[in-house]
Amino acid sequence: MNEKKLGLPSVIATGIGLIVATSCLLSLGIGSSAIGLTFIISMIIACVINILFALSVSELNTLMPNLTGGLAQYTLACCGPFITIVVMVGGYLFCNTLVGSAECAMFGNTIASVFPEINIPASIYCIFLLVLLIMVNLNGVDMFAKIQNIVAYSLIVSLFILAILGTIKANPATIVTQPAVLSSNFKDITSLCGLAFFLFIGVEYIIPISNQVKNARKKVPLGMVLSLVIVLVMQIFMVLGFHNYTPWGALGESTTPHVLYGTLLLGPIGTYWMAIVSILAVTSSINTVISALAYISSGMAKINLLPAAFMKTNKKGAPYVGILASGGIMIVINALGLSTSEELSFLILTGCVFWMIAYIVTHVNVMILRKRLPKAPRAFKVPGGLTIPIIGIIGIAWMIYNISSDIEVRLQIYKLCLIVFAILAVYAYIWVKKIMKVKLFKAFPVSKVMAMENDWYHVYHNPGKIRLNIEGVEPNNKK
Amino acid sequence: MELSRVEIITNNSKIESLRNALGRFGISGMTVFQVLGCGVQMGTREYEVEQRTEPTLLPKDMVMLVLPTKEVPDFLKFVSEELYTGHIGDGKIFVSQVTNVLRVRTGEEGYEALLLKE
Repeated sequence: MNEKKLGLPSVIATGIGLIVATSCLLSLGIGSSAIGLTFIISMIIACVINILFALSVSELNTLMPNLTGGLAQYTLACCGPFITIVVMVGGYLFCNTLVGSAECAMFGNTIASVFPEINIPASIYCIFLLVLLIMVNLNGVDMFAKIQNIVAYSLIVSLFILAILGTIKANPATIVTQPAVLSSNFKDITSLCGLAFFLFIGVEYIIPISNQVKNARKKVPLGMVLSLVIVLVMQIFMVLGFHNYTPWGALGESTTPHVLYGTLLLGPIGTYWMAIVSILAVTSSINTVISALAYISSGMAKINLLPAAFMKTNKKGAPYVGILASGGIMIVINALGLSTSEELSFLILTGCVFWMIAYIVTHVNVMILRKRLPKAPRAFKVPGGLTIPIIGIIGIAWMIYNISSDIEVRLQIYKLCLIVFAILAVYAYIWVKKIMKVKLFKAFPVSKVMAMENDWYHVYHNPGKIRLNIEGVEPNNKK
Repeated sequence: MELSRVEIITNNSKIESLRNALGRFGISGMTVFQVLGCGVQMGTREYEVEQRTEPTLLPKDMVMLVLPTKEVPDFLKFVSEELYTGHIGDGKIFVSQVTNVLRVRTGEEGYEALLLKE
């Protein structure tokens, strides 16, 4: 029996580490520069909507615990393979790739901003980093495994320190005098909720550690909510600091607002402090994204939602098809150029829409399972019946509708999303009908989805097709 | 006071955590049997392709305990959440009425026979 070691502080630390990415700071800069301190209202709305999602995903986790595929497996058991492939496999992998590309662009932008005298385009740094990380992953080496948490936490602690220093006006010499609020129009505030949503996205990544948490039924949902609230508080301080030290115009144009803020607050020390911490954080984040996407793809192939090629591993045991695919797409996106904050913002918002749709489907999953398995034991149940999932769905749909204040940008985002979903729908239709040979919208029984998690399931169901690394002999009574 | 007998049949691997959980619930007495059995799947394991046509007996544990009938609903909820993994084989719980309990040493009967006394 595995000993459960993690307490609430570890859950919160992991949650914050996973939610905060360097590209979030870009969204924070863009949002703050657009309307000033009222962006805090957009952030609070987005945080509340994310808390509702955290509650829903916690309930699904208690009903279908210890699943490696997470959202996709919940959806397979609720909405059937077609929606799972389109939204949770294709859409989710696609948005992670987009957001990973934006994160990667932050690496190039940070180096370019620290060393402006070197005349190399920022995208070259990104491509170099991506090639390096692809090679590292292909060698089956997780060089960041041990320092990943340290790096993530050093970024967060640095941000907290800088945010509070800025809020209390620690350096009176460089204080900027500017209006606190640029717009208090409710429409402007709501149109930035989509951008603000990105600041809190990714809380579902806590789920995989839930089987190591003591009293997980209480601590996992509580840890998720507290992580989101702490991130909100930190970012509110950051916005207040921006108001005191960075001119709104410069903040909006900067592709590295954290470095700009560090420079204006503490001079060269601030520049190098933020640059070193963010470069380390970005590198470890992208490494995680490439590795995670490859393993998620492999897991999806295991349950027959993606081609079996994604399960193939090289001599080092690395799922090379997924590594090359996710890393390759990120290289292409970065090679196309992500040099301005508008381009990065567009990429982030588009990724956000896919992510939000996945969140909507998760709320729907809760409602379906409430109807289908009303008496199944739920160690955690979202309070208030179906009210919270319904409010969550309406809130996210409203944010998708208001994804950008610029109508042209909004239409471009919708267009790109529709094109990607159309391609995924064609793939999903052919795959479900011809390969899986099941009904498009017929949900898999929960017990079958749970059974698919067992490695022996694939030994029995795909004899000779899959080479799995199962230790020991077949269990007599293993479930 | 009305008493009920609860018989919990579950996977061997769950018995230690169940024993600890029962202690947390306030259960002080229980009897555990090592048994063989199968349910409606006739012993088919969740990962197997074909449903078995003849019953195959699998090793299981059965926990038997007696408690006041009014505590049974809360107890069932607690045990269900404790045993739940979502996989086939989580177990079955049987509840039945107990007409009397007799403590041999003292001759006490009913609920009195279940209580710890000097």
